[in-house]
Amino acid sequence: MKYQLVSGLETHVELATKTKIFCGCTTAFGGEPNTHCCPVCTGQPGALPILNKKVVEYAIRAGLATHCTINTTTHLDRKNYCYPDLPKAYQISQFDKPLCEHGYVELESGKRIGITRIHIEEDAGKLVHESGYTLIDYNRGGVPLIEIVSEPDISSPEEAKEYVEKLQLIMRYIGVSDCKMQEGSMRCDVNISVMPEGSKEFGTRTEIKNMNSISYIDKAMRYEYERQCEVLNDGGKIVQATLRYDEKTGETSVMRTKEDAQDYRYFPEPDILTVVIPESKVEEIKSQLPELPLEKLNRYIDELKINPATARLLYKYKKVCDFVEKVISLGASVKNAVNLTTGVLYSKLPTEEDKENFALPVTAEETAKLIKLADEGKINITLAQQTLSKMAEEGNPVSAYIKEEDLAGVDDSELEEICKQAIENNPAAAADFKGGKEKAIFALYGFVKKATQGKADIKKADAILKKLILG
Amino acid sequence: MSISQKEIQTLARLSRLEFSEEEQEKFIPDFEEIIAFADRINGEVVGDTSSIKEVAARTIAWEDLREDEVTDSLPNEKITSNVEAQDGYFPVRRVVK
Ligand SMILES: [Zn+2]
Repeated sequence: MKYQLVSGLETHVELATKTKIFCGCTTAFGGEPNTHCCPVCTGQPGALPILNKKVVEYAIRAGLATHCTINTTTHLDRKNYCYPDLPKAYQISQFDKPLCEHGYVELESGKRIGITRIHIEEDAGKLVHESGYTLIDYNRGGVPLIEIVSEPDISSPEEAKEYVEKLQLIMRYIGVSDCKMQEGSMRCDVNISVMPEGSKEFGTRTEIKNMNSISYIDKAMRYEYERQCEVLNDGGKIVQATLRYDEKTGETSVMRTKEDAQDYRYFPEPDILTVVIPESKVEEIKSQLPELPLEKLNRYIDELKINPATARLLYKYKKVCDFVEKVISLGASVKNAVNLTTGVLYSKLPTEEDKENFALPVTAEETAKLIKLADEGKINITLAQQTLSKMAEEGNPVSAYIKEEDLAGVDDSELEEICKQAIENNPAAAADFKGGKEKAIFALYGFVKKATQGKADIKKADAILKKLILG
Repeated sequence: MSISQKEIQTLARLSRLEFSEEEQEKFIPDFEEIIAFADRINGEVVGDTSSIKEVAARTIAWEDLREDEVTDSLPNEKITSNVEAQDGYFPVRRVVK
């Protein structure tokens, strides 16, 4: 039988606040063990948590950016479980009144993946397992998280991948998290079940915990889908279970089954008062939301007339977009700004992370100056490319590479002389062009460029060449 | 209300406590007594609460939430002063196999 994959994701995103969710300890990554800690985040008796305003603000931002409704009266709950990464033996989270509900993330196909809820909670500490004992570092304990729970709307590994990428992009655009999966600031639990194709009734689901890379999510989903199909085709039953994915073997294995499922005994957190968020605050946060990824992509294509493939190369990286938009706003042409960025600058930024960080020593101001020279025909595009390449490596201004005298270009009579030589040296090309082969003129451009060391204005040369050939 | 031995076992497991069969049985009347007492409070002292809409009388206003400003953490020696710290870590018995 053919089975349909049904999947929902629970995504944890670490918020980029300066301090922890309930105390003023820093959230800075790393640090010596247990040096970013205080009585509150180590759960000392009598310590009182006070909710960080920015956490609520960021979570609302995340909710609005994913089209959620905001519960303006919200409270926190205790989720009880006993594990050494939680000093209090409970995690402060949200149970029945999450801050945000009923949103969606739209995929390129137009399909919407529903967001059931987004709630705020505290992260746990880090455990290091040594022989015979476990060591605990509570520096991460109390760092604010949002958990974004999707509806089981995902029906393929491709959709899961796109959903996670879109979510990542949205969170980065609105500045609430850097969503670095390899550093653990974004991680996913993946729920998977299968049902006969065309069926409306979901099968028994399993949950793969703590996935920290998009490619592992993809592989784990494929593996688990095949495994479930096989079990059912062999007449077996899926056992509801929590699984872990082994990155080395590419297989899933059981962490715990339903029998020993956790009973979290949620109850309202008595140490934190119910939060009442003024409607005006929500409106204010909404009005300050930046342009969202999909809006930017559409604007690039529809208004800036950037071709869709190139627009996609740009919009995935917020810092690149900021750079290109600034170059354009300083007067550079869209075409050259975009092409030089995706051509020259991207060649210096081979990885996704490089592009994401966009740490080149070149400023938008200098780039705009350079591109305007090309736009105005004072330098040709090849020279602009070469210069930008050097600027991006050496961090010097345009003036370090292009001197005033270079900009004079080639004077008109000299250019006419060179054009004549171009025709004399390439009689076949000239004849072909005259005969209607338009592309033949490129051979003549090449001669002119070479003879002038790239300084000639090719538009001007084009006019002269045509005049000389066609009369 | 009656309590089963299975419920006692669940509670013991959640509390990370271990009890013998006899101990578990001894707890049954104790628990029944405790629950009966709570029921009495609910019924006689608290009474009918159906008219109370929400127990959210105690609320915190937006302005009173904490600003996102870093304050000093405690030095490691102080945070770990109740344990024999190992390289600044809290050590516990190994929790994974
Ligand atoms: Zn703290």
